[in-house]
Amino acid sequence: MHIHKYEKIWLAFGIGCLIVFLTVVGVSAFAAGQQPPSCLTTIDPEKVDSTPPFDHPGLVKKGDNEYELNIVVAAFSFTPNTIEIPKGAKVTINVTSKDVIHGFEIPGTNVNMMVEPGYVNSLTTTFDKPGEYTILCNEYCGAGHHMMTARIKVVE
Amino acid sequence: MAKPTTAVRQTKKDEEPALKGTLASVFLLGFFIIFAWVSVYFLFLHRL
Repeated sequence: MHIHKYEKIWLAFGIGCLIVFLTVVGVSAFAAGQQPPSCLTTIDPEKVDSTPPFDHPGLVKKGDNEYELNIVVAAFSFTPNTIEIPKGAKVTINVTSKDVIHGFEIPGTNVNMMVEPGYVNSLTTTFDKPGEYTILCNEYCGAGHHMMTARIKVVE
Repeated sequence: MAKPTTAVRQTKKDEEPALKGTLASVFLLGFFIIFAWVSVYFLFLHRL
């Protein structure tokens, strides 16, 4: 098979780029531990209100500077709706849905995950900058989707 | 079943096709993809 010299150049370039991209993603995932939100925990979506930790949703202190934020998501609200987090806190956010698929996004941060009924999605993040953050639903979930927000206040 | 098509013999040219413009556009697209990928990756790292 005859391959043009230029074709060889861009094939090598493309394969090289692929190797570089996959290496960067692989190292950051398996060596630096940057994993996507986990969704390996299951829950009965009809019994969310009586299943710990979602029977008492909110911020729970777990360690010196470690917190757990449990949020119940349902059409068209996040419970709790206003959360205060101390600055610099390492927070593991656990979310689950009582009805349909919702989204959980805090714009300006890497917090962005799906909220699926029957699953508990988790993501750990550190709130370093004080200020007010908005939680948005970014998966269309029904007539009130555009009203579905909550606030996080990061305080000193 | 598909009917056998009449074989069309392609005339093979001995001279190389001109691919200079193709090479330029492939690299233009390639550099754009690299730029976009690196920008998004650094945005992600910055927000960690």
